Amino acid sequence: VLNRRCVEAAVMTGLALKCSINKKSLFDRKHYFYADLPAGYQITQQRVPIAVNGSLSYSLCIDNKMSQMVTKTVRIKQIQLEQDSGKSLHDDTRSQTLVDLNRAGVGLMEVVMEPDMCCGEEAAAAVRELQLILQTLGSSQAVMAEGQLRVDANVSVHHPGEPYGVRTEVKNINSIRFLAKAVDYEIQRQIEELENGGTILNETRAFDSKLGCTVPMRDKEGKQDYRFMPEPNLPPLILYDAKSLPANMNHQQVINIDWIHERLPDLPSVKREKLVEQYEILPEHSFALLNEDGLAEFFESVVKQTQMKPKKVIGWILNDLLSHLKQHSLTVKESPVSSFLLADLLNLLEKKEISSTVAKRVLAELWKGEGKTPLEIVKEQKLELLQDQKELEQICQAVIDGQENE
Amino acid sequence: AMLRASLRQVSAALKEGRVTPTELCQRCLALIKSTKFLNAYITVAEETALKQAEESEERYKRGQPLGILDGIPVAVKDNFNTAGIETTCASNMLKGYISPYNATVVQKLLDQGAVLLGKTNLDEFAMGSGSTDGVFGPVRNPWSYSKQYKENSVPKSHSEDEESNWVITGGSSGGSAAAVSSFTCFAALGSDTGGSTRNPAAHCGVVGLKPSYGLISRHGLIPLVNSMDVPGILTRCVDDAAVLLGSLAGHDPKDSTTIQDDFKPFELPNLTDVSELSIGIPKEYHAPGLSSEILALWSKAADLFKNAGAKVVEVSLPHTRYSIVCYHVLCTAEVASNMARFDGLEYGHRSDKKESTESMYAATRREGFNDVVRGRILSGNYFLLKENYEKYFVKAQKVRRLIANDFVKVFRSGVDILLAPTTLSDAAPYTEFIQEDNRTRSAQDDILTQAANMAGLPAINVPTALSERGLPVGLQFIGRSFQEKQLLTVAKWFEKQVQFPMIQLEEVKRHDSSVFQHQKSASFS
Repeated sequence: VLNRRCVEAAVMTGLALKCSINKKSLFDRKHYFYADLPAGYQITQQRVPIAVNGSLSYSLCIDNKMSQMVTKTVRIKQIQLEQDSGKSLHDDTRSQTLVDLNRAGVGLMEVVMEPDMCCGEEAAAAVRELQLILQTLGSSQAVMAEGQLRVDANVSVHHPGEPYGVRTEVKNINSIRFLAKAVDYEIQRQIEELENGGTILNETRAFDSKLGCTVPMRDKEGKQDYRFMPEPNLPPLILYDAKSLPANMNHQQVINIDWIHERLPDLPSVKREKLVEQYEILPEHSFALLNEDGLAEFFESVVKQTQMKPKKVIGWILNDLLSHLKQHSLTVKESPVSSFLLADLLNLLEKKEISSTVAKRVLAELWKGEGKTPLEIVKEQKLELLQDQKELEQICQAVIDGQENE
Repeated sequence: AMLRASLRQVSAALKEGRVTPTELCQRCLALIKSTKFLNAYITVAEETALKQAEESEERYKRGQPLGILDGIPVAVKDNFNTAGIETTCASNMLKGYISPYNATVVQKLLDQGAVLLGKTNLDEFAMGSGSTDGVFGPVRNPWSYSKQYKENSVPKSHSEDEESNWVITGGSSGGSAAAVSSFTCFAALGSDTGGSTRNPAAHCGVVGLKPSYGLISRHGLIPLVNSMDVPGILTRCVDDAAVLLGSLAGHDPKDSTTIQDDFKPFELPNLTDVSELSIGIPKEYHAPGLSSEILALWSKAADLFKNAGAKVVEVSLPHTRYSIVCYHVLCTAEVASNMARFDGLEYGHRSDKKESTESMYAATRREGFNDVVRGRILSGNYFLLKENYEKYFVKAQKVRRLIANDFVKVFRSGVDILLAPTTLSDAAPYTEFIQEDNRTRSAQDDILTQAANMAGLPAINVPTALSERGLPVGLQFIGRSFQEKQLLTVAKWFEKQVQFPMIQLEEVKRHDSSVFQHQKSASFS
């Protein structure tokens, strides 16, 4: 039986990725024998998937300092709905395989990209953007480490102007960082192989994160004939839009593409544009804000509570707050310094009651989470900026006098 | 004569207190025991059945029966999942398998208070037309032991034992048909993929209904051909079939191939005037091998309608001759797919071979399946290979569409119901039947029944008359999709006209006397 939520998620994702949604899509059985496939076949959409021909835009920094960003696009070939298999855990010491069938049969959405990317960095950036989109839509929490987002990389090399080379499929990639590493390693490996006069096999390889390389996966003998057959238990999936929706249809039984389209939330790219426009920050700032869960909201909250210009606030968010968070491996939600506290601190700075050096010190102090306000810390440690001209003269004189005595 | 009554009659008796559910259940169980030689049941669920009967009795005492099926003993073909009761599909692959859930149709029966006596025998995984190829042995047609058969059949030699002269039930729902025919239950569930309910119904002299595809849920029916399987209903008379249909039909969210429309159970009117009716006689169903007896009966039946004022016309279903081949391609392809799940890992038989997963699979499947099943799997996989897919599978689907369109055209031309034979001849003796292999027999026997499966149409076998050998012969009516009411109404009229005789079984007479006796006798005169 088809899971409605899966179909909705696929339609949302398809719309977000600018795909054409197929109003009629079909289900097929893909047959092969494996311990984690209890039915001996997987239900998938081989003939007519639910969405096709979309594109995903993502951004890269030209250098490593995030000062110049360039936009790239990767075409989306299709999105298909299919079943998950179970999980196999190989116990080599006891020569046995343990099979966990809990997730077998659960609905999956496979997003197939065209080979438009040229290196690990691009692959990582594209997948990162996809991850953000999926999280924004609510289609998936897309955490790679938890297997919510699984990425297989298909890599090939060729001389410019020549047709694409033989590709290998790289599996077992568990993070975006590893994705970049795996892709770059495989590219190098293939280039070396070819330059040494060898050939590339159309094989499946596994990424070994410890060694940082790809290795051929065992037990893949020759090309499999999956004996595709239409899935007889699932009728064709019919989706409607406002025009084609029949008048007396029970709306519980149908999915209206237009209705879903109207309710799509702002995609990351749109959110970034709005941030840049509203707060006059740089595009690379908006990327950094969206790259960390909750950071954009934190930023906006601080901006609301302080007189400091957003253009200045952003530095404190991206440099100071973020580095503290990273140092202590905390998420924004776990920050011991609330937006209120930070805004309070920035107000002191803005009113020139403290210097920016002092502000950094106070922030570090606030980080200890002892419940003191910025003002309390400043007063305690006597960190205020002196504004009184006379007092300043006295201090300077004292210093000069002290020097003379030496 | 409670055991030989119809379902509706005995239901009325329960309501009026003339018999109690437990008494009824006990009698059926006793009869099952003394007709064990028929081998109709694989599992008899004595304890649970008696418990269900007791609960039913409580309800009747309180004056709150669940409905017409409350307390009625029924049997279910062993390819339907039954929670807590072994489901084997007559295969080594599932010997000892206890399902954790009930098939939707089983659940519906139980929810209405029916008493589940047990699981009936079949051809392994419902593949066959004789109910002879299951691991628990063949089912014997109760008519083999009937007075009518014994008086009319010519024994090969005087010294020959009755034992070797018994005839088959037909298949693959032979156990269910035999159970209903021998009065051990009042209704039984079978399955019909290529005729597996109608064929044994014809040979055992009972009513066998194949409903429209999509009307009754297949959830829990272990699949053979998903696009053709339907649960089948076997009863003593057409009215009983309508009762069963009423309690089983309707949309099931667990089966996406059931239609969404509301189904309203109906009572069959007593048709008296057939002048508005148009009966079609498909000429291609005068198949090679059709016995002259059945041909004559078919003719007689057509005349019956004509003389009663109905319009009887010859029609043509031109693609009939391609249907067997087409059916074989599509059937084996789906079978190969559906049988892939039997790998010994999660449930069922598992071989002891441990060298590798592959060797374990191979051994498990060789040990678990008989050669009929293995043969179909191999053929099916062949047809699904990339290089063969277009030539065989896709082609067969196209031919299937043509076959289905044949029916559409005929029904559009004003014909209401088609009348055709169900089988080529009366039941063959077992020793003769097994001279040919399962594939050959299936190809021969399915020819009159499987087009209805390919087109998803409802069809019903109505016992018509006895052959020269004293065995039942049935004729089938095929109707428009989802027009079961019309189909059954006509079938009921026909049933009334032909007055098919009741089987005379000594065993049953013994059990059915008004004084309840435990008689264990091995002789049947």
